[in-house]
Amino acid sequence: MAMGIIVFLWSPGTEAKDFAFPEIAGWKKSGDAQTFIPKTLYEYINGAADLYLMYDFEELKVMEYENQKKAQLTVDVYRHKTPLHAFGIYSQERLPKTNFLDIGIQCYYEEEFLNFLTGPYYVKISATNTRPEDREALITFAKKIAESLGPKGSIPSLISVFPTEGKEKYSEKFIAKNFLGYAFLQSAFTADYQIQNRKFKLFIIEGKDKNACRDMIEKYLQTIKSPRKDMAEGRLTLSDPHHGDLDLQWQGRYLWGILNLNEVSLRLKYLKLFEDRLTKK
Amino acid sequence: MNRRNFMKSGLAGVGGLLLVTSRPKETKATQQKIISRTLGNTGMRVPIVSMGMVSVGNQGLVRAALDAGIVYIDTAHTYHRGQSEELVGEVVKGRSRESYVVSTKVGFGRAAASMITGLYTAEATEEAFLKNVDVSLKRLGMDYVDILYHHNPWRRESALYEPALKAMEKVKKSGKARFLGVSYHRNEVEVTQAAIDSKLYDVIMIPCNFKQKNYVEVRQAIAKAANAGLGIVAMKVMGGIPAQDPLKPFNASAALKWVLQDSNVHTSVPGFGTFEEMKIDLAVMEDITLTDSEKDYLKTASITPGLYCQGCGQCVKQCIAQLPIPDLMRAFMYTYGYQRPAMAKELVVSLGLPSRLCEDCGTCPVKCSIGFDVPRKIQDVARLRDVPAEFIV
Repeated sequence: MAMGIIVFLWSPGTEAKDFAFPEIAGWKKSGDAQTFIPKTLYEYINGAADLYLMYDFEELKVMEYENQKKAQLTVDVYRHKTPLHAFGIYSQERLPKTNFLDIGIQCYYEEEFLNFLTGPYYVKISATNTRPEDREALITFAKKIAESLGPKGSIPSLISVFPTEGKEKYSEKFIAKNFLGYAFLQSAFTADYQIQNRKFKLFIIEGKDKNACRDMIEKYLQTIKSPRKDMAEGRLTLSDPHHGDLDLQWQGRYLWGILNLNEVSLRLKYLKLFEDRLTKK
Repeated sequence: MNRRNFMKSGLAGVGGLLLVTSRPKETKATQQKIISRTLGNTGMRVPIVSMGMVSVGNQGLVRAALDAGIVYIDTAHTYHRGQSEELVGEVVKGRSRESYVVSTKVGFGRAAASMITGLYTAEATEEAFLKNVDVSLKRLGMDYVDILYHHNPWRRESALYEPALKAMEKVKKSGKARFLGVSYHRNEVEVTQAAIDSKLYDVIMIPCNFKQKNYVEVRQAIAKAANAGLGIVAMKVMGGIPAQDPLKPFNASAALKWVLQDSNVHTSVPGFGTFEEMKIDLAVMEDITLTDSEKDYLKTASITPGLYCQGCGQCVKQCIAQLPIPDLMRAFMYTYGYQRPAMAKELVVSLGLPSRLCEDCGTCPVKCSIGFDVPRKIQDVARLRDVPAEFIV
């Protein structure tokens, strides 16, 4: 029993996997792998560390490689507490309009870098002084590393409930905390939309249960000085002094809504589309 | 004077060493009581609380901050892969350019510096730096920034790296930046001296918080830089993401006020991520007087940093018995830091520990990242299990 408690307390979200940087023909490791933990991440990525810590960063391993022509590759393997948090930080940095590849859960690259997501890992490979013939190395490295990091998992399932019409590809994000600048709203998924020059954002929050969602709505209403009691599930239009008018729909442990869209008919349409897709989930 | 003594004397009667430094050249606007200070020889007057953008992802918060009196917003080329600069650019659209101050931080890219030595490699060229500046300005939608920082050179040689200095000079001459600065996260004393010696940098952005192990030296470096006419911007004022401690919730107001007691600190860039946090920081912008409870908080904090487990969890992987070491370290802090042995006992008992602790391993493989003598502390605090509750006050 006692050991049971200890195991429960100390089971990490995802087991850390023993990871060794791969050997790649034509490339030599420049030294030993460097390891950074939450306390030391600032030493490597400066102030940006704060953002990674918000996404439950646990450990970073870094290796530098060099080839005979002095081209260099730096491989950063960030491990987060859960695949969801890894997706979150990846989505914060993802470029929506770039070249995507089938490596890990999702991968994109440009001339001098390649980033991908797999399981609880966010991997970033950057190249320096490379020539066109070296560029393929980014992909070779990525494939090898992805193989060694275990099951890749998948994109968070809640992403699939976002309506497809008008959605900007690769715009989905996971915000780990303080959604809209409110601690009580906790985390949320968002996606960007554009329809005939109207740009807006949809979001969905997954509460622990129905009561958690009720609590969030009540706190929201208190914050915008429009308190209400005995909230029932359904639709609600809020006038937020910081974010403007927004529609919220509550059903069970889900809250979803729309930001930056004035047209009422379109708001209603998207709330309904969301509901339909959530029902089918 | 060591850190603890400094902290004690600094807090005696609130201030001690901290308050005997020259008072800031500060003014209070009559209608809004915002305290402003002059950013060194730049001559720019800015409120003592500014806004750091690293963890900000929504426009509403930035807009609200500007509307509430914050003037200076700091972002960086690398934050959110450039989306932070775009966000700032969006928010300030339509506002008078003179009504706000924006800085960004630019470097050569991570691969252009050795992560071990901190020295730049041949890839760190003037052209690369200038290219990054132009990208940042484009994202911001601005012709110029008020301050352009050289981002995180943490060695003297890097802060004075010629291609960076040449590039920055060009940026200033071309009008793309009004002033130049340097920001760094470590090696504060060495890089501050380099900034002074450079005769190029107008502003430094430097970590400053009550948890810093070397804050006596950091304060001295700050004073030296301020005397040399540099503008001083304090960052990491909360000391990183605050540890969650149910007994002593983090006191952001006290932490920020503590930094701003030093008149040589001209402004600070706390990274508030919620409207609630912003409200706390805005209140400090109008009044930096430490309340009694804030003084108490800082006094306790001055005693406990040596007891504060950072919760990195590395020890758990190393421990053969897989003991919940961070919890045990917390119990140790409850006992000796907060003088709350009853709470400590409750925690220790709740962990359901095996009867023999740290007695069978021979050599302990745990290497604590902040140097705690883990087995000694475990054995010490585990004794609480055997103390009857009625003997614990």
